[in-house]
Amino acid sequence: MSHAEVMVQAPAQVRGAFGRLLRSELRLVLGRRRNLVLLSGLAAVPLLLGLVLFLTRDTDLDGQGPGFVGKVTENGIFLVVASIFVCLPFLLPLTIGIASGDAVAGEASAGTLRYLLVVPVARTRLLVVKALAALAFAGSAVLAIAVVGLVTGAAFFGLHDVVLLSGDTVPLGVGAVRIAGVVAYVALSMTGLVAVGLFYSTLTEVPVGAMAATVVTAIVSGVLDTLPALSAIHPGLLTHHWLDFAEFLRIEPDWRVVAGGLGVQAAWVAVFATLAWARFTTADVSS
Amino acid sequence: MTENTPLSPPPRRTLSARARWAVPAVVAVGVGVAFAAPPLLASADSSGLPPVTPEELVAAVASAEPQALSGTVVYTARLGLPSLPFGPETADPVNLLDGSSTLRVWTDGGERSRVALLGDMSEFSVVHDGPEAWTYASSGDEVVHYTVSDADRARYESMKDEATSGRAAGQVPGGADLPTPAEAASQVLDRAEQFSDVSLDAESTVAGRGAYQLVVTPKTPGTLVARVVVAIDAKTDTPLRVQVWSTKDAQTPALEVGFTDVTFATPSDSVLAFSAPAGASVTEKVVTLPTDEQIAADHAKAASGTGLPEGVTVSGTGWATVVQATGVDGPALVAGDPSALADAPSGRPTIGSESAQGLLDQFGPQDGGGPASKFQGIDPATLYDSLTTKVPQGHLISSALLSVLITDDGRVLAGAVPPETLQAMA
Repeated sequence: MSHAEVMVQAPAQVRGAFGRLLRSELRLVLGRRRNLVLLSGLAAVPLLLGLVLFLTRDTDLDGQGPGFVGKVTENGIFLVVASIFVCLPFLLPLTIGIASGDAVAGEASAGTLRYLLVVPVARTRLLVVKALAALAFAGSAVLAIAVVGLVTGAAFFGLHDVVLLSGDTVPLGVGAVRIAGVVAYVALSMTGLVAVGLFYSTLTEVPVGAMAATVVTAIVSGVLDTLPALSAIHPGLLTHHWLDFAEFLRIEPDWRVVAGGLGVQAAWVAVFATLAWARFTTADVSS
Repeated sequence: MTENTPLSPPPRRTLSARARWAVPAVVAVGVGVAFAAPPLLASADSSGLPPVTPEELVAAVASAEPQALSGTVVYTARLGLPSLPFGPETADPVNLLDGSSTLRVWTDGGERSRVALLGDMSEFSVVHDGPEAWTYASSGDEVVHYTVSDADRARYESMKDEATSGRAAGQVPGGADLPTPAEAASQVLDRAEQFSDVSLDAESTVAGRGAYQLVVTPKTPGTLVARVVVAIDAKTDTPLRVQVWSTKDAQTPALEVGFTDVTFATPSDSVLAFSAPAGASVTEKVVTLPTDEQIAADHAKAASGTGLPEGVTVSGTGWATVVQATGVDGPALVAGDPSALADAPSGRPTIGSESAQGLLDQFGPQDGGGPASKFQGIDPATLYDSLTTKVPQGHLISSALLSVLITDDGRVLAGAVPPETLQAMA
């Protein structure tokens, strides 16, 4: 019986243990070759977009394109916004779905989850560390697009004073702050999807299943958002407020719109993080 | 379930599995309440306004000073029109014909204002600054700058000095009248008494402010307009919302324009000013102000009812008015060819709602550009057939508030009446 008694003892509270666990997890997630390939793939988008726009800028196609793509040749800083706009419907959810869906299910699949738990690490703490690492990856994915977009845009087209959607011009510094606001808003808009992915990840030992389910959730939400018959539920959809980042580029950003979008993400995070917690702390971990 | 495995949660945690699963359930309920409660609370808190009569309310609105304000206006049209073959992605005034649009409005209560029609990634702005006005479309980076000639400008300045009330300033060219509910409501109330019953409905809350609701019900049964409801802010007497209800739908208004939030404070100067951004294509337009004689003549014409252009006749009165025009080429008109209207009247049909009319005038296509250009590549005749219904007399466009009959011999009949009325007249 001594065996069981040893095992059910509370994990010893060691100072700095949480930090060490988080650091090791971050190293694992951000250093994993698959994730680095994903990040490079995302970073290639602004590079490719900038190159295409640079090569076609003296043709009839100059200044055309959806969203902010048409504005890039006038001001390189818009390459940041245009790249985010291009990645937002699919590439970003795909990348984030892969990272967050893999968080717990990946360990379970590799058979390392139970070793982690006998280290011993409390399950709640492990889940928090996994969530933080997935959030960090989501943030670095958005940041990778932004930084490469800024550098590419500056190199190809130069940086100028920013013309807002309302036609008013603001100095480059103010414009850069606004575009930083766009990047921050988009990064925070991904938190709901990370929470959903984390929940799926606790449900299964097959990481691919959790990843696919996360990406499918984002896509289904986007599809539902286009059906007028469902307009009553649109404001609560995971993806509905993603494009509200344009608010930062209007003459007077309406902070209620921004807060509304972030509030919906907070609601998704609250529900799915607690679901993930309830599932993970009650699950029978056998691998 | 995992009590006897070595990997079960440590015993110091006393929550059972059931209690753990209750946490997300409670959070979900809490989230639901947090999102549902504010609107419910807002609608519950709408009593305690001092009682007024309709006459007092109309008078208060008429005499109210124009307010400096900024706010968000949501405009919703449920006209039952056939959907147009292009998407609503960009901020384009043509989208006001159907569906929901969001506008931001800033005004200093006088002659400086800005209205922005919001799209997902775009914006269409109308900025009005004294004798100048601009429109800016972000999707095409196009600026139209309206100015008056120097002589007119001098006359405008003197007019402005005379008329400080702001009413006269509203006549400034450039067409930058605010499509605020204020403008729409004052026009509705002017005409109301003659053909309608005016009454008060229960108090309501619009944009978080207590408001009286004035109901204008047409006396005649021969119109598509069931009633017009104007919500008027109890504190400032500013109209906050106008709803036009169709006889076809008793559940939701066919047209609705109203504030979703409003702040009564002078907006910052940067919002009310405008200068064309570098690199934009700028079109300059000089507008001639009508002279005093012209204005007087127009008033005389309107008063005597002879102000109609040639080829236009009006029959019926009040809400059941039908306008008939000759010499219109239907398919060409749908295709956005301005010449189709060359021999058509300049008098526009009244569509029952001055608010919608104001918006259409405000944002309507200029020089056949804008919306019409979107039809490129679509066969006009096919589009014409898909937008209209074939009837024995010609082609019919029927919506919740307006019927238009285009006969095969080139006449157009329009009015806020059931299509059968038009067919009988044709």
